[in-house]
Amino acid sequence: MPEEPAYTSAEDSQLVEQAKGGDMQAFEELVSRYRNRIYMRAYSIMRNEDTAVDLSQNAWVKAWQRLDQFHGEASFPTWLSRIVTNLCLDELRRQKRARTDSIEAMEEATNPVENRMELETVDPINGLDRKELRERIDAALAKLSDKHRTVIVLYEFEQLEYREIAEKMDSSIGTVMSRLFYARRRMASLLNETLKRDGLIG
Amino acid sequence: MIENEIQLKVQALVDGELTGREAEELLRHLESDTELKALHTRLTAVRGLMTGAELPRALPESGDFYWSRIAHEIEREDREAKRLAKPASNTNWWLRWLMPLTGVACLGLVLSLQPTTMPDLDIMLSGDHELELSDDEIDVMTFNTGDDTMSVVWLDYSIDLQQDELELWLD
Repeated sequence: MPEEPAYTSAEDSQLVEQAKGGDMQAFEELVSRYRNRIYMRAYSIMRNEDTAVDLSQNAWVKAWQRLDQFHGEASFPTWLSRIVTNLCLDELRRQKRARTDSIEAMEEATNPVENRMELETVDPINGLDRKELRERIDAALAKLSDKHRTVIVLYEFEQLEYREIAEKMDSSIGTVMSRLFYARRRMASLLNETLKRDGLIG
Repeated sequence: MIENEIQLKVQALVDGELTGREAEELLRHLESDTELKALHTRLTAVRGLMTGAELPRALPESGDFYWSRIAHEIEREDREAKRLAKPASNTNWWLRWLMPLTGVACLGLVLSLQPTTMPDLDIMLSGDHELELSDDEIDVMTFNTGDDTMSVVWLDYSIDLQQDELELWLD
């Protein structure tokens, strides 16, 4: 009786090679390892459960079809994360074409008070554990417009450089820098607001 | 405070996107500019907070269900790709060639039934003018099947005359 391949203990690279040969079980193991991570990235950008599930599944299908293009320059989850990020950006572009920007987003871009706002000092470490901090950061991210949230997710979580973000977002490096600066200023303000409200900072 | 180039440069410095001499010059400048120095400190703090702070999320549906939809889509797309790449069946192959072959055969038949005298090559340009063509202005191509049961003759009357030549002819 032939020995069953030990999928669960195999390295990513082994599973990828097996999947390239058409082994769906090997690919299923990769999905099992990284499905939450890919969903998380899609959710961070899209802020919608259903859309994030759909886009993350599309990313896996595309990954299967393009496995031959994966040569291990980056890790498999990083490669996959780039695929789902691109799908999210395409979806945001599609949504933007379908509707005008929200009033909030327009205010964000034009509000003179916000534009004059100084970058606040945030020091919440003393009162919060890491999990609580993540939750508050997540809540603050949800309040940013698509374009500001996307640029900060791509920079801080996806760890792309300015140039790469500019390419993905079809914008100039200057625009990326400006959006990132605004997004950080807004994040600092939102975090301070919530931390002060909860009495965690003075 | 209006966001300006120097603030964005400070941010680039914090992000490690500003390097070399430009970075050194800005660092020296920060030592003498307390406002920019404070901005550098705050940006560094915000960056520190954000780094690796993505909230972990689990799929809102079971892993099996999630995978079943992926597998289904992969299989569907594979089937579709195979269907498009699949060569046509023998019947389809014959049907694809039957129409043009019939057309060519009919043309051959018509031409073979016409009188063998040379066609009238005068082309009327208008009621008053005639354009005569010599034989070397006609392209003639013939095709014979292997067993000589069918001949196709292609006569090309199209001529490529310059406008001035045409006018001369018309005069």
